Amino acid sequence: MSGEIKSQTISPETLAAEYVHPANCSFRTAENGFLSAVINGKEYKRVILTRALPLNFPDDYICVTDAEKNELGIIEHISEFPEEQRKAVNSELSQRYYCPVVDEIISVKDKMGNFYFDVKIGDFKKSFTVKDISRSIRQVGNSVYLTDIDGNRFKIEDYEKIPPKSRRKIEPYLY
Amino acid sequence: MPEKKPPKKGGGAKKKPEGRFPPALCEELRKAGLETRDFMFCCTGDMDNDACYRDAWLAFDKKGFYIAFGKAEVLKSKNRKKALETKYTVDEIISVPANEIDGFEVEQYVSTGRLVMNSAGGQTSVTRFSIGLAGDFDGFKKAFDEFKETGEYTHRGGGDENESKCKKCGKPCPPGQDYCRRHSKSSATAVRLFKFFGGHSAQIALILLLMISEAAISVIVPQLSTRTLYDKVFANPDGLSQAQLVKMLGSLVLGIAGIRVVRVLFQAADNWVTGSIMPRIMFNLKTKIFNSMQKLSLSFYSSKQTGSLMDRILRDANNIYNFFVDGVPRIIVSTATMAGVLVIMFRMSWRLTLIALFALPVLFATLVLGDRLFRNMHHRAWRYYAKISSITSDNINGQRVIKAFAREDDEFENFSSASEELRKAELRLSLAEATLFPMLEILVFLLSAAVLGIGGTMVAKGKMTVGTLLSYIVYLEMLKEPFGFMAWVSNWWSRCADSAQRVFEVCDAKPDITEKENAVPLDDMRGDVELRELDFEYEPAHPVIRKMNLKVRAGTMLGIVGKTGAGKTTIANLISRLYDAKEGSVLIDGIDVRDIKLADIRKNVGMVSQDIYLFIGSVADNIRYAKPDASMDEVIAAAKAASAHDFIMKLPDAYETRVGSGGQRLSGGERQRISIARTIIQNPKILILDEATAAMDTETERRIQSSLTALKKGRTTIAIAHRLSTLRDSDYLAVIDEGRVIEYGTYRELLQQKGEFYKQYKIQSEALKTIGIVSYETGAAAEDDDEKKEE
Repeated sequence: MSGEIKSQTISPETLAAEYVHPANCSFRTAENGFLSAVINGKEYKRVILTRALPLNFPDDYICVTDAEKNELGIIEHISEFPEEQRKAVNSELSQRYYCPVVDEIISVKDKMGNFYFDVKIGDFKKSFTVKDISRSIRQVGNSVYLTDIDGNRFKIEDYEKIPPKSRRKIEPYLY
Repeated sequence: MPEKKPPKKGGGAKKKPEGRFPPALCEELRKAGLETRDFMFCCTGDMDNDACYRDAWLAFDKKGFYIAFGKAEVLKSKNRKKALETKYTVDEIISVPANEIDGFEVEQYVSTGRLVMNSAGGQTSVTRFSIGLAGDFDGFKKAFDEFKETGEYTHRGGGDENESKCKKCGKPCPPGQDYCRRHSKSSATAVRLFKFFGGHSAQIALILLLMISEAAISVIVPQLSTRTLYDKVFANPDGLSQAQLVKMLGSLVLGIAGIRVVRVLFQAADNWVTGSIMPRIMFNLKTKIFNSMQKLSLSFYSSKQTGSLMDRILRDANNIYNFFVDGVPRIIVSTATMAGVLVIMFRMSWRLTLIALFALPVLFATLVLGDRLFRNMHHRAWRYYAKISSITSDNINGQRVIKAFAREDDEFENFSSASEELRKAELRLSLAEATLFPMLEILVFLLSAAVLGIGGTMVAKGKMTVGTLLSYIVYLEMLKEPFGFMAWVSNWWSRCADSAQRVFEVCDAKPDITEKENAVPLDDMRGDVELRELDFEYEPAHPVIRKMNLKVRAGTMLGIVGKTGAGKTTIANLISRLYDAKEGSVLIDGIDVRDIKLADIRKNVGMVSQDIYLFIGSVADNIRYAKPDASMDEVIAAAKAASAHDFIMKLPDAYETRVGSGGQRLSGGERQRISIARTIIQNPKILILDEATAAMDTETERRIQSSLTALKKGRTTIAIAHRLSTLRDSDYLAVIDEGRVIEYGTYRELLQQKGEFYKQYKIQSEALKTIGIVSYETGAAAEDDDEKKEE
């Protein structure tokens, strides 16, 4: 027998994304805290969610994969799902995409090509170093993402809403 | 299941802890009821399970796994002034018996990571951590895996109590230094920079002498040109005759002219001496950077952008050059001038000078504040300027695509909006400058007016001569420029120090690949290659090669097949020691490559990869790159063997045609054949063909295949390919997936196994049939045989 493996032919049907929606999929948080799903009648004990457009559309186009990273489908809009499931999905996403939110910028010091940030995240004072600011500081709308030299990411939700003193400190580095 | 314990107060063992946590932390952990002596591995985290920032300390010993949460505060020591000490507070300890844990997993998310514990009860999240600590947590996971597998963990590690701490903030700092980068002193950079002037101390002393003399002469001039002229000639206090006055005036003019000539001569001498030593110093600096870069490993180049590296050689060295050629002389002259002028002003009128000294700090502060304001505005304008540069560069490089998709108007729109932003930023800057500078002028004018008013009163009262007052005002004016310069020179110096710091970063970077002191010479290699329990990762916690074992006998050919990202090219990089294995080893003739002289590896391991780079130069120069002393006969023979001779002879200047950047355009196949000729001339014992024909059309591939067949004779060949047809001559084939060998055998054996190789073979032969290439030569024949057997 030589026909065990069917050759893959590329057609518009195979290229089209498989969407998951409340009719063919349901999510729930398992006892161990991980997100599980039933998709097309098959149960997956743990599914992983990845945002396709994490910065601009965090609640749309979310890729669902199993623990081995095989794609199971794409959620087009989280809002389509019932509230309980939406909660479970959002909880998983917020863990995966958790990014410390900077509430206040205490100081930014430029020294030897490094930018030393002292910031407040909630009540916690955090210091980090940013290098190559044109790449490490990214502005998306009013949000600002800062990536430090160790790859840690911090977010200013809306730089127009942070205290004016803080805004003046970050403004020179924004477009 | 995790068992939570409240920390015990007081008590604890007296013995010194052996774990790698700092002693003060071990003391706290012991107080909280944890025995730290037998810790096998320690690791520090920065978050709790809810991703809230909290200090966390993880460790394991033979009995169990422990995680403690609390707080580490850096405080000034009560006992020793200026010294810092860290105060640890432990709030919560979780411990889990080792026999209940199957292992750990490190999950990496966008900004954070998570340590997950696997046990019979399933998976439990232990703690979260900042993504920058992923490497540490992965080390912890691996250490625990080793302990679970062997019952031991031999290399104790993790947290480092001997790590040097910054004297200012207590954070870790580079080995051998007292301060972290944030608190490092720029004076240390200056001292290091001045070391480059070490061999020129006599010239430097001469330059200093000439500059101070120049400043002294500048200071003397107003004494003659103003004070003596007014007080001795114009006022004529001694009642001299007209002839005597003219004679005196003539002497004064000659004296002033003479002094100015001497000053110009001093300046010329100073420029001449500076000009003679600075290019030499810059040459030393640039060659030091270039030489340091040559010694660095490939990983350094992968992590830095080429553009920024070129900046380091060119722009940073020039920044340093400009500061030392232009800035330093001006600092010396300005300082000497200010000191000389102030001394003279005090001698002329200490009252007026005190008034001026009260006003000058205001002026100085305004200048410094103005400089800060402008720096921010300049920075913003610079950011837009950089954006426009990148849009332009993107546009030029992507012209084909832009035209193909007819996006010219959108590109123009994009450029225009960025230009508009730049225009606004520059306008704001110009307006700010146009406002502040006149204000400064007014300040200076007010100061001069005050001095003139008070001085005029003194003249009227006979306490001061007109000449003294006028020369005093000239001196006051003379202070303006050095003051202004000193207000912003710190900015200039910080730019120079930035550049110097970046330059020293390259000079100080330690290459990952170094030759051992007693490395074994292996000039005459047989060519046996073995990968033994090989582990490799480019980034922490992202393994590319996992426990790989492979053997290639000298003179045989191994084909490596696998999907994109399976780790095939990494194997090539590890065999040629462009990178070093994290665990396990690569052996050539039974010797670990890390023990072999690097020059012998480079000489005996040749690689033809799909990334072809031709240097600027002639075709012949490029072919003899691996053997610069190769004769023209050898070059032609290599080109013929690589099927390159025919097309080279059709080039305008044949073997002397200029190729590389700005040279003759060659097709991918032609460039590849030159690179094969380059490897043929190297005559390596081990030949690595990394997708050597991936970008070629079938006809060119066939030609190159025949060249390669000639090249393979008498050598160990490791061929990596997507197209299975290129591997049909292999003695053995290894199928790689996710860094592991999943299938191994001959071409025929693998087809018969009907595993991954067979699957790939079927997909490719179907694809070839689809585009009209029916026969798949050996592969197809093998399939036929295969089917006959089954029938």
